[in-house]
Amino acid sequence: MPGIRVLNVKKSYGDIHAADGIDLEIRDGEYMCILGPTGAGKTTFLRALCGLTPLDKGKIFFGDKEVTKEEPEDRGAVMLSQTYSLFPHLTVQDNILFGPDIRGMSDPDKEKTLSSMLDLVRLTSRSDAYPRELSGGMQQRTALARALASGCDVLLLDEPLRALDARLRISLRYELKDLAKSLGLTTVHVTHDQDEAMVMADRIAVIKEGRILQVGTPAEVFDSPVSPFVANFVGQSNFFKGTIESSEGHTVLRTESGSLLEAKATDIDIGCEAVLAVKVGNTEISKDGVGFLQGTVERILFEGRYLHVDLLVDGNGRISAKVPSWRMGKIAVGDRKQIRWNPEKARVFPIPEWGLERELKVE
Amino acid sequence: MDRLAEAPKSTFLEKISTRHFRSGWKAFIIIFFLLFVILPTVWVLSYIFTDWSSIETVMGDPDLMSTIYDAILASFEIAAIVTVIDIIVGLPMAWILVRKEFRGKRYLDTLIDMPLAVPTAALGFSCAIFWAATSSNVNAPGFAPGFVDSAFLLIVLLHVVFSYPYMVRSLAAILEQIDVTYETAGRALGATKLTAARTITLPLFRAGLVTGIILCMARSLSETGGTMIALATMANSGNFETGPTLIGAWKSNPDLIPQLAFVSILLIVISLILLIILKIAVMKIKLPAGKVWPKYERILSRGWAPFLKDSTSSAFLFIFVLIPSFFIFTYVVVLPYQSAEWGLFWDSLFYSFIIAGVVTVLDIIMGVPMALYVARGHGSKIIQSLDVLVNVPLIVPTAALGFSLGMFWGDVPGIGSFDFILIVMAHVAFTYPLVVRNVAGAVEEIDPSYEETARTLGAKPLQAFRRVLYPMIKTSILAGAIMAFTRSLGETGATLAVVANANTAPVYIVDLINTEQFYTAGLACIVLIIVSYVFMVLLRYITKRRVA
Repeated sequence: MPGIRVLNVKKSYGDIHAADGIDLEIRDGEYMCILGPTGAGKTTFLRALCGLTPLDKGKIFFGDKEVTKEEPEDRGAVMLSQTYSLFPHLTVQDNILFGPDIRGMSDPDKEKTLSSMLDLVRLTSRSDAYPRELSGGMQQRTALARALASGCDVLLLDEPLRALDARLRISLRYELKDLAKSLGLTTVHVTHDQDEAMVMADRIAVIKEGRILQVGTPAEVFDSPVSPFVANFVGQSNFFKGTIESSEGHTVLRTESGSLLEAKATDIDIGCEAVLAVKVGNTEISKDGVGFLQGTVERILFEGRYLHVDLLVDGNGRISAKVPSWRMGKIAVGDRKQIRWNPEKARVFPIPEWGLERELKVE
Repeated sequence: MDRLAEAPKSTFLEKISTRHFRSGWKAFIIIFFLLFVILPTVWVLSYIFTDWSSIETVMGDPDLMSTIYDAILASFEIAAIVTVIDIIVGLPMAWILVRKEFRGKRYLDTLIDMPLAVPTAALGFSCAIFWAATSSNVNAPGFAPGFVDSAFLLIVLLHVVFSYPYMVRSLAAILEQIDVTYETAGRALGATKLTAARTITLPLFRAGLVTGIILCMARSLSETGGTMIALATMANSGNFETGPTLIGAWKSNPDLIPQLAFVSILLIVISLILLIILKIAVMKIKLPAGKVWPKYERILSRGWAPFLKDSTSSAFLFIFVLIPSFFIFTYVVVLPYQSAEWGLFWDSLFYSFIIAGVVTVLDIIMGVPMALYVARGHGSKIIQSLDVLVNVPLIVPTAALGFSLGMFWGDVPGIGSFDFILIVMAHVAFTYPLVVRNVAGAVEEIDPSYEETARTLGAKPLQAFRRVLYPMIKTSILAGAIMAFTRSLGETGATLAVVANANTAPVYIVDLINTEQFYTAGLACIVLIIVSYVFMVLLRYITKRRVA
């Protein structure tokens, strides 16, 4: 089975760069999530992989074989679109057998493929149903079975869980990944949902405006983001602008209002302007001690296991924090709080040339 | 799962799936369209450059000019009046068909299409004996109204009959796509039924209105056979002519080529200009959707007013469309049997069927791929302009189109002498857009992701079409085919204009009436109606069975 190599792929629609020099290597059998906001070029990337969108520039390899100019049907990469595109005039059984039929598989082999696929996705009892008679989850499983029956070795999933209701979406995450893994498929899964990507991916590639910003395991992307955008898109962050004061052990950032904030060491020069990012979940608030900052509680939202607390920081605008729900009742609107974090969990980045606002903007 | 080992060695499929072959095929389809449909359609315009002097001679003859002027003016007046009537009575009918649920709705739905099954030549005769004051040797049944003695009025009544279904269908098609929840939302906000319909839904279906208007005007402007027959049947038509009948009448005289060219050019140019103006006007002109008159609209939304509206539009359908269409049956029943020479008619009917069959097959082979390019090629400028060009033969009056075509192919050595090929080419030109429009409309509704998914599952483009797209659009292909077939079967104007003494059934009926053999003409009309109706039903039945 092949890994996938993508070299400097470019594709524009007028002024919009849907792919602006994408380089990416997806390992054999890997479950790769492409994570990015709407309009980042995720779907274009997927369509380029399966050959539905011709490239302006660049090369794509499946294993050692270049497939850049190959027709979609010759690539062995099946695309599963958001709506599954189950053929409405065919039953579940005929949908699944679409690929084998096209390839002229013998009847006994078809029979075998069909029963094993129906078994795999637990749809044996519904094999004569039409797609419109199935629930969302069943449709999704049928589409998956159809893809697998075609004998593909690359599975391309375009927001595969989007059309399902919330609970089903979460339970299908594991099922989908287990299935792909057990069959040894190389899977590229496109999503805008960071939770989904974190849970499912072997590695995540964060994409924005047609460029890959960072590739890494979920933990790497979450804990060591390479830019403010990644820090904010994969788990919300609080940001503080300032100048680098010192970089011994920890980097110290002086904010405009004079507060000194600590973060993991960087090599940005002392005196430079920079921005510090710390995940909302790593931002601690307490009544006692001395924090990096002080603020007043403005709003408290109950989220089940966590409380989402918005605070107005003296001289630094608004920030958020997440605290365990058992602290409910111990925090009230108007309370004064000390704000601190583990410096190892905070990152300092140079100020992006287009400004922090634009960097963080998600359309 | 070794997918390559399972790939069959179907070399033919492999060959026609290569990029080269596909680009070649696409080019072929587009060239066919440009060379065999568009170019011949407007070829007559070249006459302006090649033989301007003879046109000047025509323009220098005041008598001739006034005849031409009157005929063309009459054509456009009739088209305009007919279209307005169609809108007024077609709109409530479309509304009933889409938004109302009642018993027998299915039958009403079929009834609307009935006039489409009747070739216009038969319609012309049937309408004339119903409405018009006729001379005694026609022997129209005594209980027919038979009071219309103005040729103009008779032709308006006739044209309403066969353009009405087009208007209702175009409006209903768009209405069906407009979500009823908009109106419900409007009503929940306090608007009455009429106010909601007028201010919310009506502005949304300008597109349907444009299609309806274009189809109706084009049908009325090009109709020749039915018009000629109706005029010949009525007692005193005077010297009344429309543009197309003028072409039909002059075609048999080889000395009148410049006159014919002039009339054709006028018809083509005016129609195209009209099309452009219409497209712009309907999109730009504001309907009075901003104002509401709650009091009056409330009165009109309740009680007797909606009932009156529904019943008048149903009554209109019966009295002005259906009864005149099928009145001819009573004619034959009432009259005593007369013996007639049938051999020639059966020959012409057979000939018409062969032509319509060949035309329909050509339309499907050449039109369906074109429809796919048009529907899926929104990105490309070339495809977009093709999309506009496809409509041209639809608007050009068929008599002018036929004349233009005859000129074009007459210049090609070898083709000009084959009547059959000429007639087929002429009929392809004006039926091709019917297939393309129908199929392109259906394809546009279908998410391209079905075919794309099929491709990634291993289907070649042709397999993806046959196994995935075709089953979804086959009813539209069938609808297009039926329209093309019946249009070809009933067409008189283009046939006469391309070959003066063609031996098709409608032309034969025109001849019968011109020679006052009314009884035989009546029977021939009925046979034509029955045969085309049976054929339509059969076609529906066969396609349904084969797929299921």
